[in-house]
Amino acid sequence: MNNTMSKKLYIFLSTIVASVMMSSCVSRGNNAGWEYAPDMYYSKGYEPYSQVDSNKINPYGMNMREPVPGTIAIGKLDYQFGLENNGDGYEASIDLKAPTNLSYSDGQGKHLFEIYCVVCHGKLGNNDGEVFKKVPTLKPGAWKAYTDTYIRELPQGKIYHTLTYGKNNMGSHASVLTPSERWKVIDYVKQLSRQVVPSAPQMDIPPSSEANKTTLTN
Amino acid sequence: MLSAFMALTSSAFTQDLPDADNGKKLFEANCLGCHAIDKKEIGPALRGIHLRRTPEWLVQWIRNNEKFRKVTKDPDAIALYNEYNGAAMNVFENLTPVNVQEIVEYIKTAPEAPKTAVVIDAGDGTKKEDNTNLYILLTLVAILSIVLLILARVKNTLRRIAAEKNPEEYAEWLAPKKGFFEKSLPGKWGKLNPTVLTLFAIVIVSVPALYYGFEFSITEVAVQKGYAPKQPIAFSHQLHAGQLKMNCQYCHSSVEKSKQASIPALNTCMNCHKGVQLTEKYNGEISPEIKKIYTALDYNPEGKEGEQYGKNPRPVRWIRIHNLPDHAYFNHSQHVKVGKQSCQTCHGAIEKMEVVQQVNTLQMGWCIDCHRVSQVDVANNNYYKALHDKAKADIAKNNQSSKYFSADGTVKLTAAMNGGLECSKCHY
Repeated sequence: MNNTMSKKLYIFLSTIVASVMMSSCVSRGNNAGWEYAPDMYYSKGYEPYSQVDSNKINPYGMNMREPVPGTIAIGKLDYQFGLENNGDGYEASIDLKAPTNLSYSDGQGKHLFEIYCVVCHGKLGNNDGEVFKKVPTLKPGAWKAYTDTYIRELPQGKIYHTLTYGKNNMGSHASVLTPSERWKVIDYVKQLSRQVVPSAPQMDIPPSSEANKTTLTN
Repeated sequence: MLSAFMALTSSAFTQDLPDADNGKKLFEANCLGCHAIDKKEIGPALRGIHLRRTPEWLVQWIRNNEKFRKVTKDPDAIALYNEYNGAAMNVFENLTPVNVQEIVEYIKTAPEAPKTAVVIDAGDGTKKEDNTNLYILLTLVAILSIVLLILARVKNTLRRIAAEKNPEEYAEWLAPKKGFFEKSLPGKWGKLNPTVLTLFAIVIVSVPALYYGFEFSITEVAVQKGYAPKQPIAFSHQLHAGQLKMNCQYCHSSVEKSKQASIPALNTCMNCHKGVQLTEKYNGEISPEIKKIYTALDYNPEGKEGEQYGKNPRPVRWIRIHNLPDHAYFNHSQHVKVGKQSCQTCHGAIEKMEVVQQVNTLQMGWCIDCHRVSQVDVANNNYYKALHDKAKADIAKNNQSSKYFSADGTVKLTAAMNGGLECSKCHY
């Protein structure tokens, strides 16, 4: 009798062990599951986005490092921006000009504008992007539409300064747009600002842009 | 006046022994918002504060640090103020000198906080579940099984000794045993050769076990489909990409330029969250998740303009979900910029996910399946101009041996035909 009892117990226990082992292999929720040979999965060399362990040498334990201060990577000379992030720098940026060898015909300006700018400024620069519609604390009513004289006459250099450092509620977009991409976006902004202001209420301009106009006429 | 005040404080703590329990209450009510005992938060970590500062200094600093800095001009106080970039501590004139002693007494005796999972940690890399509990469990099970085995042997031995002494009582146990098959199989089946039966049983059991084991090992082990880890900051793709309709590339900005789609730098978060703090949802407090961005950047939203960023940023340890093994090469820009694939092709409906989950297996078969059927959009795509021209020429020449040839004159070109099945394209 007792022999079969213990046999049953063995079977019971080994089933539990087996199922625990099986289920821990499967990735669900927080569990990444098991691998065959982790050595083949994770790079032994330092790679920025496949870091497994804390880096013992670099700051913050990260594989990525900042460039050595004062160095310029090859081909990145245009990242050097002499003007400072303050009022004086902003005023001085009037004289900045886009490099003459840029081509604007590739549609990159529009493409990038629709990624980085429309979220707030809207497709036509009327400040009716989804973020502005849903986040009232950003007070889009106080912002000028692109078709406004202010934006139309704003020197390109100043827009470049704003894209690089940010201004008021807008943050710096220097980490997502290369210098030449910034100039292409500026070119597209200027294209939008040259649009004719529609006199009659247009297709999908929300009330915020109406509020906009009133603040401007005041 | 000052000396009288000092005398009062010193007499205060000679007479009353500071009450640490009351200190705990006061600490939680007044200090906990900005200070922790073992961790620097908005203000410094307070463990061992009684060793660093004199009691009198603490009383003056805590009760009115502004007066202490500006009127008394205490050099240590000014230095501390500057160390925190001019982020001033609140004034606590409601606390009596005795109260301050009580708080210090509490800090002196406070137990160390249990080491819970630190949400934002010095970048320890990405990864992974802690399996310690599982290993402990398995070890316990193994030990218990061994103990059970030993006990069973001991019991059998004891019974045999008992049976030798008292055969009548153990007659049943001493009787010749029936074999396993004789007992469990009906009639004449049980009388068959046990060796044959055993071999047969092994085949019956092991074939399906091997089959399912194999299937399990190729479909589940090292396949992270379904992996949906909790991230250090509960960023919702459903809110940002879904409701706010932000383009994926707003944050994953290098997807068109690089192998990696890239995790956004926190500066991208701050483009909006400098202003968006959701205080209206959290009774005037900054949303705890947004606060984590600020903590990681060492950013003080109340600080003076230009001095809001401190010197102690702590990178966020985002957990990587979609992970190809090191021996497989994948390039995002190749698929998104050149191949014009949408993010959702591989990542699923990210814009509906509150917590991102891996929805595809990312196994090689899954890649290959897609390469076999995906039409490459060769027209109007400068990356394929040479290929397109060649295909058009082949069709014009009616060259039926050309792989691009199709009878109806259209160019049919899948990723597989363009080298999408070459081993060395991804494994080199």
